Amino acid sequence: MTSLYAGTILWVDLTTGAVRRTPTEEYAARFLGGRAVDARLIYDNVAPGTDPLGPDNVIVFGTGPLSGTLFPGCSRLDVMALSPVTGLLGNANIGGDWGAELKFAGYDHLVLTGSSPTPVYLNIRNETVELRDATSLLGAATSETRRAIADELDSPDVKVLCIGPAGENQVTYASIHSNVGNSAARTGMGAVLGSKNVKALAVRGTGGIAITDKERFLEACLAAHTFIRSHQDYEEAHTAGVMDGEYGFVLSGGEASGDGHQGVDFDPEGKTDFRAFWKRYGYQRTGCMGCPVHCMENLHVPGVGGAVVSCEMYPQLSWEVRNSDMRLWFELVRFSQEQGVDNTSAAIVIQWVMELYEKGIVDETLLDGIVPVWGDRDALWGLLKKIVAREGIGDTLAQGLKAAADHFDALVPAERRGGRSTYELAMQVNNNPMYGITDRVSSLALGYAVGRRSDLISDIDIPQFNIIAASAQVGQTQEEAQHAIQFETDRVIALTGEERAGDGDALDGKAMIVHDMGIATGISDIAGSCKWHTKWFLDLSPEHYAAALTAGLGREVTAEELRAVSLRMRSVERAYECRLGRRRENDTIPRKEFGKPISRGTAKGKYGVTEAQLEQLKDEYYALRGWDLATGVPTRATLLEQGLDDIARDLAAAGILPAAAGPTTAGIAPAGGDGDGADVVRPR
Amino acid sequence: MATVLTVAAEKCTGCRLCELACSVRNYGESNPVRARVYVVRDESEGLVGTVPVVCQQCVEPLCVELCPATALSRSDETGAVVVDTDRCLGCRSCVQVCPFGAPSVDRRLGAAQKCDLCDGDPTCVKFCPTGALTAVPEDEEALRLRRTRASAYLAHLRDVAPAGSDDEEASR
Repeated sequence: MTSLYAGTILWVDLTTGAVRRTPTEEYAARFLGGRAVDARLIYDNVAPGTDPLGPDNVIVFGTGPLSGTLFPGCSRLDVMALSPVTGLLGNANIGGDWGAELKFAGYDHLVLTGSSPTPVYLNIRNETVELRDATSLLGAATSETRRAIADELDSPDVKVLCIGPAGENQVTYASIHSNVGNSAARTGMGAVLGSKNVKALAVRGTGGIAITDKERFLEACLAAHTFIRSHQDYEEAHTAGVMDGEYGFVLSGGEASGDGHQGVDFDPEGKTDFRAFWKRYGYQRTGCMGCPVHCMENLHVPGVGGAVVSCEMYPQLSWEVRNSDMRLWFELVRFSQEQGVDNTSAAIVIQWVMELYEKGIVDETLLDGIVPVWGDRDALWGLLKKIVAREGIGDTLAQGLKAAADHFDALVPAERRGGRSTYELAMQVNNNPMYGITDRVSSLALGYAVGRRSDLISDIDIPQFNIIAASAQVGQTQEEAQHAIQFETDRVIALTGEERAGDGDALDGKAMIVHDMGIATGISDIAGSCKWHTKWFLDLSPEHYAAALTAGLGREVTAEELRAVSLRMRSVERAYECRLGRRRENDTIPRKEFGKPISRGTAKGKYGVTEAQLEQLKDEYYALRGWDLATGVPTRATLLEQGLDDIARDLAAAGILPAAAGPTTAGIAPAGGDGDGADVVRPR
Repeated sequence: MATVLTVAAEKCTGCRLCELACSVRNYGESNPVRARVYVVRDESEGLVGTVPVVCQQCVEPLCVELCPATALSRSDETGAVVVDTDRCLGCRSCVQVCPFGAPSVDRRLGAAQKCDLCDGDPTCVKFCPTGALTAVPEDEEALRLRRTRASAYLAHLRDVAPAGSDDEEASR
């Protein structure tokens, strides 16, 4: 067994039940692990043109070399498949302890191919791998499913990933859940499992992960933990998650800033203050395996029950749909988790319906009699339940924004739509419902446009986010807010060398900030750690990861190597999406957002990125990534430099890259002049 | 003075860093099954409950009393009950008799394993981010716990205390 790796990729053909094992080394040598290996597995095994909900799609569950160790936050599992939401690369990352358990069972990655003829769950116990009948679990909520499987296997320590009824029904944006509060929610990974007739994945492992130099490894991990515990934001993160930050961002108008909220501060009394809700209903703080932060809030609301929430769950089914009843919010979030649907996507779909109704474009006759008034309890419950069950209008809304827009466009006369498609009002990037985080600020718009899986979360200008949030001074004195703004400004200036890098209106340095954040969060996704611990929040550096990997693997790993793998991973993902048809024009935000300032809150009237500005930032970003400015395709030079010669050949064969000018030496970029890379470094 | 591991279950958030640190330190591998500390987790009703379970180094340990191979004894140096793996039969008497379920038999070791306090400097404590596990001198444990548990009452007393001089001035 190679240190830090379990050593094996487990392949299960769901159609035949055949199980295969291949050495992880074949992929880890160039891609290390986690999201990078997942991306290459998808690239190699899912042909362009595959139906995301058909049997030929493949879903991969990947751990990293640090998963299951005591490096901070190393419990993350990366899930990847072709997305039924975007038709592009789907990807979600889940905490808890399932990923670690998979490694203890002896596997770094799990690859599911084909589709089971009957409902099953996969049961892994070390070398034993079996498909078990899941008929009795159909329709079960996620917590019930976990409990029933633990009972059936008589294994209280078994770890279970599962889908709920929404996944079984293939709601395109259905999610996968593990422990209470942990979910791989975005881009419809739950629908993919549902399409394969897989209700759950159970794993129990009793093996270990070898550490080459245990003394140095303990030292490197302790240094990383000590660093985090000494971070200026640790105390807050540790005791209050991001409650202050999220609420600040909401009150600044950085969340829920869209047209649906034009000028409306619907909660003047501050009823949506999560901190008050936590104070009243907080049960305990919790978090993932191996994490010193515990960013999640476990709440108990009498009469409703318990649930674990965090982060971006707050503003979705509250502010995005103008619901100020936090008890209702909690009920809806809990329902989403139990039924297995991404509450971000569901909230944005419902928000869109409410906006269409407010603008007089749709009425209740198109909605099974539901009157979707902003924040209305019956409307929220009615729509959410119908989506999960795919009943009536819910069946249409469950297929995603584009399908629903086509449906409404066919039924609503053009004049009532102002001659435009209802899709134009939807907050989406490549049909992926957007987070509530505003896209009206240059760097955040860039994150949405070029980000992994068509959203910004890994490619986000966090300093700018914090600067905007500080304008609301939630949990901060004026002095503290000023300090926060100065701190964030200083660090982006240090990164980019641009004096105006912290100014959300300026374009200076923004492409570099997004590029750099993408590299950093990519490293954590590869290692198997949580992006919170990177410069996304708690500032672990690539050197911290490299030190632990070096001690654990017993070979020198440098921060440079990690950056290179992160870049290589993104090229694989991008090249794959280009094979699926993604080009520069797909890297954008909804047209209606351009040129509009934030519509409410303490940042009201500010920002308002224009299309020309976004296009300029894309030029700069593509140049940093080595993507062709005209097409957004990684250039041959970039692919060869990153050792992805075979991908360059694939793209040329598909006519996406021009054929190579002549014979070239592997690994060395052609001298130029073949047209695909010559103009890449100079922004137009 | 001997050190003891104090468990403050109410501070545990279930991160299991103690398990991972323990197994790496003792076996050079990350493996909760081989760890000598174990976090029991329960999620029923959507409420997360976690309790670290570890040897309490009893004053009159049943495991020592009942060990048929006299493989368990108290270390004079650290005060920990330790296993002599050469003598141990792996009979699981200690596993079954322990009131906490702290020891286990490790197949690869071919013997019982239990917390030996890492020669007096427990590794798990260094990694525990919440203070749910702390190493304290044996004779101070109770005193510290009394102080901690009285602190809520002390805070309450301050809250209900009569108004101070500022208020008196204001009322004049």
